[in-house]
Amino acid sequence: MAISSQRWSDGSRSYSLYLIPGAVGFILIVLIPQLANLGLSFTAWKGVGTPRPVGLQNYSRLLTDDQFWGSMYHTLLFIVSMTVIPVCIGLVLAALLFDYVRDQFGEWVSSFFRAGFYLPQILPVTVAGVLWGWILNPVGVINITLKSIGLDNLAQNWIGDATYALAAVSLVIVWIQVGYCLVVFMAGLSRIDPSLYEAAELDGANWWSRLVTITIPLLAPEIFVVVLTTLIAALKVFAPIFVITAGGPDNSTLVPSYLTYYHFFTTQRVGYAAAIAVVQTTLTIGLAVIFLRFQSQQEAKE
Amino acid sequence: MAYSVLSDGTTKARATAAADRARRDPMRWVVLATLILLLAFTLFPFFLALLNAVKASAEYAVGGPLSIPRSIDLTAIEKFWTVSDFSRKLLNSLVISLGVSVLGVLISLFNAYAIGVGKVPGSRVILVVFLLGIMVPQESIIYPLYYMAKASGLYDTQLSVIIIFAVLQSAFGTYLLSTVLSTFPKEILEAAEMDGSTHWKTLWFVVVPMLRPTLMVLGTFFFIWTWNEFLIPLVMLVSNNNQTVSVAMGLTRGQNMSDPVLQASAAFLGIIPTVIFFLIFQRTLTRGIAAGAVK
Amino acid sequence: MKRIARLALALGTAMLMTSTVHAEQKTFKIWWFEEPTTAQGIVWKKALEEFKTKHPDITVSFEQKTFQQLQASGGMILNSDQAPDVLEYNKGNATAGLVASQGLLTNLDDYVKKEGWDKILNEGDFVLSRYDEKGIYGSGPVWGVSVFGEYVSCFYNIDMFEKAGLKPPTTLEEWVADMEAFKQKGLTPLALGAIDTSGQHLLASLAYTKADDAWVQNYQGLKAPLDGAPYLYAAQTLVDWVGKGYINKDSTGMKDPDAALLFTSGKAPMYVSGTWNLGTFASTIKDFKWGQFVIPTPKYSVGSTGNLWVVPKGSKNPDLAAEWISLTLSPKYQAELGNAGGVPIAADLSAITNPIGKNAAAVFKQISDKSGLGFYPDWPVPGYYDVLNQKDTGLFQGSLTAEQFVEQIKQIYDDAQENQ
Repeated sequence: MAISSQRWSDGSRSYSLYLIPGAVGFILIVLIPQLANLGLSFTAWKGVGTPRPVGLQNYSRLLTDDQFWGSMYHTLLFIVSMTVIPVCIGLVLAALLFDYVRDQFGEWVSSFFRAGFYLPQILPVTVAGVLWGWILNPVGVINITLKSIGLDNLAQNWIGDATYALAAVSLVIVWIQVGYCLVVFMAGLSRIDPSLYEAAELDGANWWSRLVTITIPLLAPEIFVVVLTTLIAALKVFAPIFVITAGGPDNSTLVPSYLTYYHFFTTQRVGYAAAIAVVQTTLTIGLAVIFLRFQSQQEAKE
Repeated sequence: MAYSVLSDGTTKARATAAADRARRDPMRWVVLATLILLLAFTLFPFFLALLNAVKASAEYAVGGPLSIPRSIDLTAIEKFWTVSDFSRKLLNSLVISLGVSVLGVLISLFNAYAIGVGKVPGSRVILVVFLLGIMVPQESIIYPLYYMAKASGLYDTQLSVIIIFAVLQSAFGTYLLSTVLSTFPKEILEAAEMDGSTHWKTLWFVVVPMLRPTLMVLGTFFFIWTWNEFLIPLVMLVSNNNQTVSVAMGLTRGQNMSDPVLQASAAFLGIIPTVIFFLIFQRTLTRGIAAGAVK
Repeated sequence: MKRIARLALALGTAMLMTSTVHAEQKTFKIWWFEEPTTAQGIVWKKALEEFKTKHPDITVSFEQKTFQQLQASGGMILNSDQAPDVLEYNKGNATAGLVASQGLLTNLDDYVKKEGWDKILNEGDFVLSRYDEKGIYGSGPVWGVSVFGEYVSCFYNIDMFEKAGLKPPTTLEEWVADMEAFKQKGLTPLALGAIDTSGQHLLASLAYTKADDAWVQNYQGLKAPLDGAPYLYAAQTLVDWVGKGYINKDSTGMKDPDAALLFTSGKAPMYVSGTWNLGTFASTIKDFKWGQFVIPTPKYSVGSTGNLWVVPKGSKNPDLAAEWISLTLSPKYQAELGNAGGVPIAADLSAITNPIGKNAAAVFKQISDKSGLGFYPDWPVPGYYDVLNQKDTGLFQGSLTAEQFVEQIKQIYDDAQENQ
């Protein structure tokens, strides 16, 4: 509920003034380029020279492009590894580090672990790709370890076999994403009144039930933010796939962003790429709107 | 929903009571061991990077990435440092990441204040609109941004990159902060109202102090995300003097060849600043929590 | 927080100002993306020093670029004020051809005559320098000049061959026999990075064993729908080789550096890749003797003239740019290129003392003289590189038959051919 305007010395309307810097930035950096992109999607263009209008040709092409539909399907799979798994692991780890480890071992140990788990976020993805390549390739760390302990029938071609490639990239993605979830959740946990935990402990609640009954409901804002942002990131994911499997083997790990990058910069079919980007963005917006509506419904229930 | 006020008294009391009860939990060693194992797994790739950054190329050619270097060879690190003019790239990345961090947090704060606290009409729609900033794939805005930068004379300047990322990152910041601010205790705001405070004063003297841990986390995120950004700096920054560390990484991949030892060295050099930044801010964060006494 | 903000602002403004100040005196800007450790990088650096002493009144400004940057935003840079006076640019329709057709480069025809480049280079060397108004190579004005060459061959471990009592093959049958012999000893004969260039290059090399002039010209020039026969043969051969264990099935998980590692660490006796490996191999292989043999084909090998020196349309010093090109094309620096282990495009072989460079230059000359440069398989269609990679992995993994492979690459080729 908005606070009544009469008592504020500058009137409640002046809150809108605070939106001006953001609005200006948004119009320049996001709105205008997006409109330009929309316009480009109706043309054929090579990146230099003048675009040639082609109407809906790019879109009709899109409908029959197997690569595009395949990429959309793979995105759904990557949502699991970019959102569902990291959020769950992040919650458990955050509660563990904040609630349990801090009590048992102290602040320093807890911070040490948090920093360590966050480190994958700091690594540029291109580098992570090379390092994980050393681990995942057919003669890499995983297979060598398996062979040395006598389990060589479990050694697979993690990157180059379509059956495993998706899982391999997902592993790297989870590795990268957990740190982000962890840090946001731990920052949120510091908001919560410790006396609630105390009361629960006195009632005999163990760590797990404290997590489920107190932590998760109270962390709702952070959970919503993390889920939405990782969801959006999952729809946009590009770099890990680009560096590890290059969309392969045989397009089995292709995602829409890879396709747009490919057409923007490699085939120079900028108009077509713009069309893919429009569809991708529209889907993302749709998903975000649904999610936000759900979020405000949950908040209204409180 | 309870939004609590921490005070030193409560924290201390909890620590003592909890400590007495919890210290003798035998499970704690199992938990610690599991965590250490998990951490080792998480940090293993970094270990690989370090291992290969100090390896001689000839050794790599024979033993591969998993061999232990017989001696510490820093030639690859030195080579990358000089060829990429790394100190300059570090400075550029620092300026850009700091600039984005500060500007992005400010924009997010202002937006979130209007949406989360002020609850201006159409807040939900405005939020979705701002959120577009993280939804757009960067490839789709590069060409228009390039033309706009050229037209305004900002092509090949760091300012263009700072503005672009400050706006893009603030999409996330606006969302996070407005979500948190929407649960800001009304009593405190009303108290400020009673005292005849203005929006501006309330923002800086009431809201920001309570929001500090979240603002710090946000600023840290923006710094790190911008540091690793690569496509937009690659396109917008032409002169080597303006380029960032992430763009310089491209030096390790030639047209047909890539040098793994050089890549490991570049990786090693590239993450040190971000690690330092994160460690500094992590300390401030925890100090903020421990001392967080807000009346 | 506010103090930090002010500090950042100050720093930022300082940076801004330094980055936008341009030197007022005459400046000559030159860029290339050959890495400093390559033969080109080393030799051009020397040439640049000589260039500087020849022109003491000019500020010579060199920037080491990355291939990645020029590939992603080369067109954008050439279309702006930030373009230098002369730069190295990737040859081919999709790169040099595209920017030439958009009017972003300076026509070099006059300089060719004036500087006498046509005396040093033959028409074959100029094939990738010419682009027509549609950006297709082969005809039209000269837009760039190549000063080095590159080709794909099979690197082999001489010691391992001698121990097995084998000689480098001169025919395809001999090559297969050599691989079988190694296989009998329990080794995987051929190292391959199937999701990287070496996969495609082997494919193309095998296709070229069945290719005639008409096929190559039609293929590279996008002149007709794809005649899949050479590729069918190549694909079938590859499947056969994977089946017999000459190539590891798991190579679909390996990139070129991983495959090269198998070769340099002595695990695989052979590795098919290009002359760009010469520098690294020369400096890192100490444990065994190594060499290259040309893949036995009737005429064509995978390879081409090297990247081009191009002069942007807005270059302020085109004469100096032409002088620079002449310098790198001069007998002195061509020989230097060979001595540094690189492949000069037109060197006097007797002036080269480095055996690796001498051999490479000789092989290149041999191929070039018979007009046997078949270029690269991904050139005709923009984005074909990724397509070939993807389909290669399907082929190696067994998810695509040789026929399906050819059908799928043909579809994309024909599509581009129709719509050009």
